[in-house]
Parts: sequence; C-alpha cells; structure tokens
Amino acid sequence: MFVAPFVIMFLAFSVYPMLFTLRLSFTDWRGSGAATWVGLDNYAYLLGNDAFWASLGNSAVLWLLIIPVQLLLALVAAVLLDDAKTRLRGLYRVAFLVPFVTPLVAVAQVWVVVFDQNYGAVNAALGVLGLPDVGWLTTSTWARPTLALLFIWKTTGFIIVIVLSGLQAIDASVYEAAALDGASRRRRLRSITVPLIRRTLLFAVILQTLAVVQMFAEPFVVTQGGPYGATTTAGLYLYNHITRADLGTGAANSFLLVVLVMALSLVFVRLMRERD
Amino acid sequence: MATSTLPGTTRKSTHRGAQGAGGRLAAHAFLLVLTVAFLAPVAWALLSAFKPANLIISDPLVFDPRTVTLDNFRRMLADVPLGLGFLNTGVVLLVKGSLTLFFAPLAAYGFAKYDFRGKNLIFGAVLITLMLPTIVLIIPLLLQMKELGWVNTYQALILPGAIDAFAIFWMRQVIAAVPDELLAAARVDGCTEFGIFWRVVLPVIRPGLAGLAVLTVMNIYNDFVWPVVVASSDRMATLQVVLSTLAQNISGNRIGADYATVTGELLAATSVAILPLLVIFIALQRHFINGILSGSVKG
Repeated sequence: MFVAPFVIMFLAFSVYPMLFTLRLSFTDWRGSGAATWVGLDNYAYLLGNDAFWASLGNSAVLWLLIIPVQLLLALVAAVLLDDAKTRLRGLYRVAFLVPFVTPLVAVAQVWVVVFDQNYGAVNAALGVLGLPDVGWLTTSTWARPTLALLFIWKTTGFIIVIVLSGLQAIDASVYEAAALDGASRRRRLRSITVPLIRRTLLFAVILQTLAVVQMFAEPFVVTQGGPYGATTTAGLYLYNHITRADLGTGAANSFLLVVLVMALSLVFVRLMRERD
Repeated sequence: MATSTLPGTTRKSTHRGAQGAGGRLAAHAFLLVLTVAFLAPVAWALLSAFKPANLIISDPLVFDPRTVTLDNFRRMLADVPLGLGFLNTGVVLLVKGSLTLFFAPLAAYGFAKYDFRGKNLIFGAVLITLMLPTIVLIIPLLLQMKELGWVNTYQALILPGAIDAFAIFWMRQVIAAVPDELLAAARVDGCTEFGIFWRVVLPVIRPGLAGLAVLTVMNIYNDFVWPVVVASSDRMATLQVVLSTLAQNISGNRIGADYATVTGELLAATSVAILPLLVIFIALQRHFINGILSGSVKG
C-alpha cells in the first residue's frame, strides 16, 4: 500500500504515455481530427529520410567529441582529488560542481555571448594572441565542437563525483599489496584503479550517452539547430516533429531513439564484460 | 558503504605512493586549471552584468571596477517578466518538490522492506523508465494534458514529473540499508506501519533525504524541456522559459548598439537566474556531494 500512490502515478504518467506513443507511431495523427492507421509508414519514412540520418550523425559527432574527453578529464581529476590531501580539496569539489548547478538555459545564453564572432570574449582573447576570429557558432565546422564544449563544461563535475564514488569503494589494501610488489603509480592506475571502477565508468558512459542522444536545450538555445542543420541533434529533430504537429512521425522517431539507446547500452555492457 | 560519511574522510588516500613534490605540484596545477575553466564563464557573466552595455562588447576581457553600473539590471527589470518567472518556478518548486520528497521515500520503503505480488515486475518497469529517453514521453504527455485541459496550468507543470523513477531507485538503495531489527522493534512497541515509515525510517535516512532534496530542487529549478512544451504561455512561463524567450526575442536583433543593450539585459537576467541556486548549493554543498555519492552505482 506504500507503493500504491506511486503505481497510480507511474501508470498514468509513464506506462500509459509509453504505450500511447507506440500506438501513435503507427498512425498519421497530426494532433487533431481522426488518426489513420498507416502501419510502418512512419518508420519507413524516417529510415529513408536524410534529415533523420543527419540528426543521428550530428549526435554521433557530438558523442565522439564529448565522451572520450569527458571521461579522461573526470578520471584524472577524480584520481587527483582522491589523492590530494589538502584543504583545497573541498574548494576544488565545489568549483567543479558550479557548472552542474547553473541553469542550462542561462549558461547556454552565456555561450552565445562569449562565442559571438564579432563581440565575443573568446575571439577577443584570440585577438590579443594575434590569432584571427573564428565563427564559433556560425560555421558548421565549429558549431558542434562549441556545443560539445558547453556540454563537457556543464556535466563533467557530476561525472567527477560519480567516478570519485567508485574510487572510494576500492579497498585500500589492494593498493598496499601492489605498492609492496613495486608497481609504479601509473601501473597501479592502469592495472588496479581503472579495472576496479569499470562498472562506475560504464554507468557514466551510459548516462552520458542517454544525455547526448536527448540533447535538446543546448542546440535549441545556442544554435537553433544551425548552421545548415549541423547541430540539429536527434533530440532537437524529434522536437521539431512536435512543433510541426507531425505527431505520428514524432512518436516513431521516439521509438527509434529508444531502440538505439537500448542497443548502445547493451553494446557497452557486452564490451565491458568481454574484458573480464 | 555508509551513506553519510564524507568522501575521503573514511580512510587514507589509496593512490599515494612514492609521489614527489613535483608530482604533487603538477596535480595541483591540473586541478587549478580545471577550477579556473569551470568558474570562468559564470564569473564572466556575473561581472559583465555590472558593466556598461557598450563595454561588454567592446572590451569583453576587461573588468574595471570604476565603471560598475546597475543599468543592465534596471533595463532588464523593465523589459523582462522575471518576477513572474520566479513566482511560477517557486510554486512548482514548493509543490512538486514536496510531492517528490514524500512519495519517493514512501514507495521506496514499500519496495525495500515489503514483499507483495508483482513487486519485481513493477520495480523492473521503474528500471526500464530510467533507461528511456524522457523525450519519448513528451508527445503523449502533452496530449494527455490537452485532453485534461491542463495545458498552461500548474497541474501540468507539477504532476507528470512528481514521481521520479531515479528518486525511487535511489531511495530504495538508501532504505534497504536500514536494519530490519529497527523496524521489528518499533512494531513490537505497537507502532503502525505508516508510523514506522514516518517516525523510524525517515529520521534514519536523513542524510540521503537531504541529498535528494538538493538534487530535486536543482532539477526542478533548471527544468526546461517540459515547461517550454506544456507552459509556453506568458502567464505560466517558468524562470527558464522566460530566459529562453528573452534570448529568442533578441536573436533577430544582433547589430551594433542594439546588440550591446540586449546583451547587457540578457547577462543581468542570467546572473539573477544563476545566483539563487548557486547560493543554495554553496550553503549545502556537503549534503549535495554526499547525496550524489550515496546514490550512485559502485564499481
């Protein structure tokens, strides 16, 4: 009976909408009037549509720009934080989490101002160094890295804390034994720390993959999906179906993303297991 | 692992070995650079908001205390319905936050300490929703709200997200660590089942609850996707929606003196939006960090 309120809300606002989306994805409903059953047409339309694949491609590029950099930064920072026996440690931890607690919409706007080609602080700094201006948000080459940077800046602090929690769970005696055997610091990091926090790292990768596939507010505010669609992520593309009242296609798009995310998660889990 | 200990205070550092002063210096250099990189954008926005608008774009890298002005804030207050945004966000924060902080531990208590038919099935469903992109639910939820006549109402902003799968999953882990003997003793003393939850379980899990509280406040305050979809009318706009509308209004307007003025307004509004949560976070950062630590997956 303690679970009852939850179950009711859960059925109403999670399970029902999920099944509804599935049914909707087989119709041509546009938000009003009657819906016609169109079978797999929406799926066929999306799979044959360049814009759909481009949105997945944009998300894939962002994923490649974000995940390796973020994991490496978080791993190094967490190991150093775990080591650092200093009063500065608390200060570092607070500083790292500041981006995480700031509203995304607000910092996305700071990004727009800071990376402005003509008036932005970044190009001003490049100018001081004698370097030419860069069209950070106006060229397809740079728009994706600039968005990736926003994402990395915003969420790495959280990943650092997650990795830190993995590190804290490692038994100190493992390291003492290795130190006695004369294992070097780098060797200990590679042979003990990383394997032992494998699951934590996997959790972080899956979490961030989900977030990158869904990435919406960043391109919505900073680039509106441009220039030339270079930052129309999978999440933003899906949102565009909603604003065009193209709900059947949007629902099909949702489920393709679900299948994609689940498949990716399975691949990560499998990869991790094979290393055992 | 105990859920209430501060990270690092429980044991000696594990990686230290023959690490020289040079290594330590390099470590601090790395952490310091990262700190500056993480703080710089926020610091820049806060400082620039106090600069005369034309200097924000002509000298973006210079901050001169002699030129400090409140002009940007004054103009922003005249143009932007920030008070309304704060009011709407405040109402949602209060109601939705209370609901989450009550129902999540309650359901988690049921999952952690009772056996009932279908328990594993239901909990499995919770885990699946954790994996689902939330955006999947947006279309049907929006239609549901339309059907109920709830578009642009507080109900729509509050109810759909008030049950949070992550909060339940996390609270279940925390409550599972409460010893069964404690519950049995209370039962012997004649405590009702709900009384056990209210008077025994909740006080014991206070640290985890504090972490959940901070995380919940943060999520609700910063939420954007759902509010922008379901409450886009001016009257119901939350703080984040107000901010994004402001940005869209000025994005067509990016030239010369106009650009400077609107950028000043934008940075003033951004600063006002960033500050409340920043202050809460700094005041409660220990609970917050412990909260994340006690809730995340162990290696």
